[in-house]
Amino acid sequence: MILVGVLRHYVMVLLQSTPKKLSRAALREQRALARSQILRATSAKSPIPPLYYKTISHSLSEAFKAGAYLKDGPPKGDSTLSASDPFSDPAAMDGMMAGMKTQMVMMVPQMVIMGWINFFFQGFVLIKLPFPLTLGFKSMLQRGIETPDMDVRWVSSLSWYFLNFFGLNGLYRLILGGDNSADSTRDMTVSPFATMGTAQAGQPQDYAKLFKAERDNLEFSEGLYTWAGEDIDTKILGKYGKLAPSRE
Amino acid sequence: MNVQAALDQLAAYRTQNTRASQDIFEKGALVLEKNVVHKMGDECWGFLEQLALAAIDVGRLDVADECLRTLNAKFPGSPRVDCLTGIRMEATEAPDIALKYYAELLEADPTHAAVWKRRISIFRRTGKIDKAVHELSQYLDTFYTDVEGWLELADIYATSNQYEYSLQSLEHVLLLAPQNPFYVLQAAETAYTAGDLALAIKMFLMVVDMTDGDDSESLVESTPLGITVRAWYGVKLCTRRMAQDARLATSSRSNTPPPKNVKMLDELATERLRVAYSSSGKKGEIAKGREEVFAWVAAH
Repeated sequence: MILVGVLRHYVMVLLQSTPKKLSRAALREQRALARSQILRATSAKSPIPPLYYKTISHSLSEAFKAGAYLKDGPPKGDSTLSASDPFSDPAAMDGMMAGMKTQMVMMVPQMVIMGWINFFFQGFVLIKLPFPLTLGFKSMLQRGIETPDMDVRWVSSLSWYFLNFFGLNGLYRLILGGDNSADSTRDMTVSPFATMGTAQAGQPQDYAKLFKAERDNLEFSEGLYTWAGEDIDTKILGKYGKLAPSRE
Repeated sequence: MNVQAALDQLAAYRTQNTRASQDIFEKGALVLEKNVVHKMGDECWGFLEQLALAAIDVGRLDVADECLRTLNAKFPGSPRVDCLTGIRMEATEAPDIALKYYAELLEADPTHAAVWKRRISIFRRTGKIDKAVHELSQYLDTFYTDVEGWLELADIYATSNQYEYSLQSLEHVLLLAPQNPFYVLQAAETAYTAGDLALAIKMFLMVVDMTDGDDSESLVESTPLGITVRAWYGVKLCTRRMAQDARLATSSRSNTPPPKNVKMLDELATERLRVAYSSSGKKGEIAKGREEVFAWVAAH
């Protein structure tokens, strides 16, 4: 089982497609929001004087309004629908295929081993635990053996398989390093379709809409804006005891 | 000097991004000589890159070539090695050839920031300032968060006497790194050079505010150090010119209101500069310049 885990890790490494490179325009689109976020982050006590703040804020707002940062240039009117459909974008399809591929590698060996154990060792009792347990553990430790009055300390083959299956992660981490893909519990908790859903949510965003929302934020922080150097002269004079602390 | 100490020092240079090329080259040569490169594990690739850069810096191209060959064998087609190859090319080939090489790399991957920056630096080096500015603005439009790029743009503008533009680039730097007083100081000095005294004095005062202590009780007795002294000089310069010509204080291109107590600020700056040069320097360099500073501060 350890060998299968190791093998799986390397198959995964082979199968992982290199992340697709973004075009310059796409990268610019992706990062445009960060610009206004940086501007807004310090707006309550901004390091830059009012004129410059207003200039930057207004030019960003204009650019968002006109769609200057959009990947495909400013919108021409009715092209708002296309972005939401993942199947229209070949890049999104690629991402989906990669997800399916890795899921397959996860599932197939799991099913094979389990089927193999089920076939050969059905009904076998493999070990006896060195400590007593209550009846509640019966379904966990004696899966595949339908005996009502056997001591819970006996563990059936199938249950032993499952125990190992979940317990091997620590070992994998030792052999393959922290971020390995042999970790088998992951594909039990995550179905292939769930991963697809999250990946999709992250990828095609409608930047035109995000930019519109960002414009409101920009306007809002312009209201909050003060310059850190506004009353710095009186503040410094007060700090050095030359001026009575500002009356407030 | 043992190898381990050299390796530690080199690793420290790597993390701090220090360009101590001669030192790096000497230590790196020692490491190469002792033949411990293959024992370093994954560290050795970073080391080879560092050594190659340092070797190009000090002109030992043979060493650089050797590093490059090893790196190329290990990572064929890696963008980082490509960039390093380009730098090596710049060392000996004509700028045009390097430009062409970079253009090819950029065509394959238009978002390769390091190559893009190399290209801009060649433009600047060969005197094509207009092209450099154009490319750099495009670069910064894509990679807005690159503080280095903005500083470079400010520098290009400043060397072309375009202080207004330089100041604008520096404002972006301030947005990106609001906690760094050195950038504020640079912006203040640029504003001063651009003739915007009201803005300059406020920014100098911001530097003072950022770099002196927070405890206002002990502040009066404390001695200004380092860049605070420079900022006080700036304040003094501004107040002096404002006192000489009142129009300068009110004519601010950024519509900054002039400070209210110019005279008091002038006195404070004078006092601070006197303190800076009287207490800390019984000996050494500072004592020598003291007389001149006192004379300058007292003059009107």
